[in-house]
Amino acid sequence: MIHIETSSGYWYPIIMLIAFIISWLIAYLIWRRGEKSYKKNTEEDDVFFAGNPPPQGELAHIKGNNLGWGFVEALDGFYNGMKRMHNGIINDYVGWFIGILAFVLIIIILWGGAI
Amino acid sequence: MSWENYMPYIYAIFAPFALALFGIIYGLVLKGFDRKLAAHMQWRVGPPLRQPFYDVLKLFEKENIVPKNAVPWIFNSAPIISMGALILALLYLPIGPFNPVLGNYGDLIVLLYILALPGLAMMLGGFSSSSPYSAVGAQREFIMILSYEFPLAIIIFTFAWKYSILYPNLKAFSLLTFVEHPLWQNVGILGFIGLLILLITMLVVTTGEVGRMPFDIADAGTEISGGALLEYTGKNLGLFYLADAVKIVVMGTLIITFFFPYNLSSLLLHYFSLPHYAWLTIDFLFYLLKLFIISFVVVTVMRVAFPRFRVDQVVKFYWGYATLASLIALSLIVLDTVGGV
Repeated sequence: MIHIETSSGYWYPIIMLIAFIISWLIAYLIWRRGEKSYKKNTEEDDVFFAGNPPPQGELAHIKGNNLGWGFVEALDGFYNGMKRMHNGIINDYVGWFIGILAFVLIIIILWGGAI
Repeated sequence: MSWENYMPYIYAIFAPFALALFGIIYGLVLKGFDRKLAAHMQWRVGPPLRQPFYDVLKLFEKENIVPKNAVPWIFNSAPIISMGALILALLYLPIGPFNPVLGNYGDLIVLLYILALPGLAMMLGGFSSSSPYSAVGAQREFIMILSYEFPLAIIIFTFAWKYSILYPNLKAFSLLTFVEHPLWQNVGILGFIGLLILLITMLVVTTGEVGRMPFDIADAGTEISGGALLEYTGKNLGLFYLADAVKIVVMGTLIITFFFPYNLSSLLLHYFSLPHYAWLTIDFLFYLLKLFIISFVVVTVMRVAFPRFRVDQVVKFYWGYATLASLIALSLIVLDTVGGV
């Protein structure tokens, strides 16, 4: 049977897929037992927005820019540093590339054996 | 071919049903205890222990409303994906004295990915509902997943690294290795302290994974009115409720597998002589007791003792304190191993 095996782990994707289908089937069978009707196109299926008319279309969604808010806010020190480094000047990017390449080479040479 | 030849197939088909039934029933029992004990801690009487069962039955009788501008197939399939993933997770976990049904077909890395699915399903459901509150809740769920997965990954890799040193011939990521060789008796004093820190970190990660206070930012009732689940009613909400119950069982079992895989039978076997099925029953009851205690600590005590964090505080907590704690624990275990070799 198709599987991935390393010295420390293993995974049989076909078995997992079959088990997934059975598990979803169980969940679906439970779900099916519930009431399925509701009053379509009435006030009932309006979204809750504290009694106000809800924003429509894209205004109701989180913008891509804000998806990671909270994360960026909490780690702002790191992100501000990264923003400063990404200044759009190609000379700086090439400088970083050469600097890191030199650093990696030094590590390899010090480590020995690789060259 | 006798009927005994068919037993493995019958077992493979019925095991998911049996495990789903167990997860749902015991998860709801734990929810009942949680509500009762939390109420007592706050000087309230609280609902009866069977209240979660009534809640589910009532939800399944209610109308299943799909908001006008929602994407119905994603909205309706999110609770099914969530519940299915948790039933699948149960198949990879050892339940008390019983080895995992799929223990030989997937390791801890597979389980780690499966455990990310319920959160992702809730996120998809929230985004697909067309409600601004739900969208905010879904965005917060996304932040939660990013936050707690990192310390959890460090905990898992610490265990696997230690097992790879102790037992080079065994699969270090296999849950069977975890169950058969508990780490506590294989470490020195530094390693013991490291394991204690990992245990505390794991308990805190579990509280976030099950979305309870102080990490319930994704459904924060008083801020965003239930967040990703706000527009869910009827059987959809009922299934999410059941999935939440099963998630406590899954995460509790994971903690037991990592830190407390001991059975009473191995301790008492020399003093008492009982038939095999009696030991199995005793070990299973012992497992239920361990699950109850873990649920009490990570759900009830935490949500009664702490107020809700802000979104950025949750990230700082998990990426700062929890990650730092797990890295210190990893260092202690490495030092213990290097010193002991």
